[in-house]
Amino acid sequence: MTLMPIFPLWLILLLLFLGSGLVLLQYVLIRRKLGSSRALVITLLRCFSFFLLISFALNPLFVSKKEHRVSPTLAILIATSQSMGLPGGTGKGSRLEEARSLLLDEPRGLLKRLKEKYEVKVYALGESLRTLEEEELSRLRVGGKNANLSGALEKLGSGNPLVVLFSDGNLQWENKSSGVSSPLVVPVGTPDGYKDVLIKSVKAPSMAFRGREVTIDVTLKGYGYRGLTLPVVLKDGNRLLTGKSIRFNENPSEATLALSFTPQEIGQHSLSVSVLPQVGESLVSNNTVNLSLKVMRDKMRVLMVSGSPSMNYRFMRMALKSDPSIDLLSFVILRTPSDVLNVPLQEQSLIPFPVETLFSKELTEFDLLIFDNFPYHFYFHPKYLGAIKEFVKGGGSFALMGGPHLFGRYGGTPIEEILPVRLTGKEDYRRDFPSGVKVSRTGSSHPILRWSAGDGQGVNNPLTLWEELPTLDGFNLLEPKNSGVVLLESTDRETWPILVVGSYGKGRILVLATDYTWKWYSGMVAKGRGNWAYLKFIEKMVRWLTRDPSLDPVEITLPERGGTVGEEKEVRIRTKEGSGVSLSVFNADGIKIRSQLKATGQSGEYLGSFLPEKGGIYKVKVETLGGQWEESLVITGPMENLDGAPDHEKLRMISASSGGKVLQKGDDLLKEIEDYARKKESRFLEEKRLPLWSTPLTLILVVTLLGMEWYLRRRWGLI
Amino acid sequence: MISRRKFLSLGLAVAAGYLFHSRRVHGAPFPQFFFAQLKYRGGEWDPNPQFVESIIEELELRTSIDGMKERRITTLMDPDLFFYPLLYMAGKYEFEPFTSQEREVLKRFLTYGGFLFAEDAIGARGFGFDRSFRAEMKEIVPNHDLKRLPSDHSVFRSFYLLEGIGGRQRVHSYLEGITIDQWTPVIYSQNDLSGAWARDKLGKWVHDCVPGGEPQRSLAFKTGINIIVYSLTSDYKKDLVHHPFIKRRQNL
Repeated sequence: MTLMPIFPLWLILLLLFLGSGLVLLQYVLIRRKLGSSRALVITLLRCFSFFLLISFALNPLFVSKKEHRVSPTLAILIATSQSMGLPGGTGKGSRLEEARSLLLDEPRGLLKRLKEKYEVKVYALGESLRTLEEEELSRLRVGGKNANLSGALEKLGSGNPLVVLFSDGNLQWENKSSGVSSPLVVPVGTPDGYKDVLIKSVKAPSMAFRGREVTIDVTLKGYGYRGLTLPVVLKDGNRLLTGKSIRFNENPSEATLALSFTPQEIGQHSLSVSVLPQVGESLVSNNTVNLSLKVMRDKMRVLMVSGSPSMNYRFMRMALKSDPSIDLLSFVILRTPSDVLNVPLQEQSLIPFPVETLFSKELTEFDLLIFDNFPYHFYFHPKYLGAIKEFVKGGGSFALMGGPHLFGRYGGTPIEEILPVRLTGKEDYRRDFPSGVKVSRTGSSHPILRWSAGDGQGVNNPLTLWEELPTLDGFNLLEPKNSGVVLLESTDRETWPILVVGSYGKGRILVLATDYTWKWYSGMVAKGRGNWAYLKFIEKMVRWLTRDPSLDPVEITLPERGGTVGEEKEVRIRTKEGSGVSLSVFNADGIKIRSQLKATGQSGEYLGSFLPEKGGIYKVKVETLGGQWEESLVITGPMENLDGAPDHEKLRMISASSGGKVLQKGDDLLKEIEDYARKKESRFLEEKRLPLWSTPLTLILVVTLLGMEWYLRRRWGLI
Repeated sequence: MISRRKFLSLGLAVAAGYLFHSRRVHGAPFPQFFFAQLKYRGGEWDPNPQFVESIIEELELRTSIDGMKERRITTLMDPDLFFYPLLYMAGKYEFEPFTSQEREVLKRFLTYGGFLFAEDAIGARGFGFDRSFRAEMKEIVPNHDLKRLPSDHSVFRSFYLLEGIGGRQRVHSYLEGITIDQWTPVIYSQNDLSGAWARDKLGKWVHDCVPGGEPQRSLAFKTGINIIVYSLTSDYKKDLVHHPFIKRRQNL
């Protein structure tokens, strides 16, 4: 019992003192009338009542205490990392199936027994935590990245459940000891005897320059292959680029090697680094890593051969040299075989024209070959024209500039075959009536002549610009082939093609049937309108010929670092072509997959998206009225780079750092969990308080005492 | 009998045919190479009127360049000025300063790829033509001085490997020029190269070359050819591909 006074104690004592005084005074007063014994009876009755009331002020209580125990809630976490899909060590299928078997299989039926004693919740532990109903457990599948245990424990922390984790150890874990549960860990899978070779990481640039060595660093890891030497190869599609051998000296063992190669072809390349599957490997899909490499040119290499010193050469040279992205090598024929040289060798600056070196060995080093009014027959054997044809067929570009010495000489040669024009057989160079030029119907939409206001002052109407240019004093008389596209034509009485483009094999060809375009430079300068028109014309011509991306009317922007399966990817498309844009996406097997395309609201901008369902290199193709453009994107497959070795050491580390415990499959899991749960039981004391003064009995007693006093007073004649 | 109308029509047709034919015969207005000689006010703008034919003959004989044996006489206000491959300016005496408009045109011509070869036929520094020409150049391109061209300049390697220059007189063994970036749009000589080239209708040299005689004349032709080739190829001979050959030959 305990006292909890409702008034301050000093007040209660004061009342007691005063009350006692009054009771004593009453005794003295009534003793004279009733005598001592009767006065004493009444006084005692009053005294009892008074002390009873005073005791109410002290508030006496009865207190009782009782201890209670509560079992913890159980949270069973089953990791669903990709590696949980690999074979377990018990012969019961995958590691996930092993975990499922431990929980569900009779006679032990761990989950069922736990549910009889505890409140049990089951979760799938992936990148996030997902609650599972019991019937979902049998349908549970692996997927996604390594399970995030730290995040899951944090999420569960508020309920403070007892966490039982089934995992092979391939988890994301950050040691945050405060406020998280200490899990009981049940390892699945068997590290001993696990065999695998995997490409753990590949460090490669996403962009490279043609002709410059590219190095790709590859890190491999091997389990169970100590002492093995095996080849690692780098391929471009099916073409072997390079390879090296690697040896595993330990078990497990990790080794890094560098694979180097020099790309020669510009464009998007689908590369793969792979190591041959080995006998007994648990997983072979992590033996290959795909990567996409965009090869660009650092500079456009241009080889120009001019038939003689000329204004055309001088201004072309000036234009090409003024462009820092162009590396020009030029040869000018300073004397013909019929010219007479009147000085000894040491007084000549003439150098031999290295025909053999240029046209047999080094031609493929160039992006563009220009013949400027060049009569080849004086200087080299026609067999080299065949080499030029092959150069173009293989992706090189060729431009033929006109002049009096030119076209008749190419009749019946391999060059005539690849040209987009036919030699008329007439007097093939005309130098009588100067002629202006106009843009043909097809020319206005061609990248060489599609000029915008940003290209220079006064390009408000690009079509009229060409008509303002000075006349050409000479041009070759040509007929376009069906394969040729005429861009500029003469404004003479008869219409003759001046600028014709075409293609042969993978290469592009351009014929400029005049040696007077330099007048477009000088003439515009004379008018005070600067030299930009000529420079821009030459630049666009060279860039179109060499397939420079800056001239592409379509720009495709893909995510910089590829993507993963199941993650929606965005494709940004910017086009100068207006409407009529379509998007197609092809997976690694070349099968077209579903994609979406919508306008962003900005002029010429579109946003596309697709959902990759498997790994590999995806092709993103954009088609417009003007052509099609393609980019590729690497989607990392779920098993790519996967290190699937059971990492029980990590599970031990997690237990140690979090205060949990690692159980073994051979243990009586139910008993272990019960023991652990007992330690985690919550305990609390229940306390009950009964105030005495608030009971009816005390009220009755007070009323009875006061009533008896009243009765005796009445009987003895005091009232 | 032919009517008067028919006769007139026939006459007009013949005249038109003649005009048409004459344009074809004379060829294009701007052939591959020709001299455009600048006619200016004051002084003596044409000290060697007979220089063209011999140098063009030599040019065609030695090089792959087709030249025109007739020069064009022009002024700075000629609308075709910018189409001329080589603007030639010569003189003996002081001339009237160019107008501001003429200076602006010449500045634009030289800044945007034009080429001027100028000659002082007297060869006296600070006197006559030299004085006027230097003053004009200072006005037109004030930030670029007329300087002696180094011996490895492209003009000394464009066709022949030259160690000196010829001329009617031997005032300097070098050429002067104004170089803007890699291009020298103005080359200036006081050796009177065109005096050495000049030949009369009978094929006789108009002037003797002093003090070197015919070797000096021969060198003058080589210098002229180099200047013309330079005007059409710019600094082509500075390309790396030429270096080993030129170095080897200079060491022979």
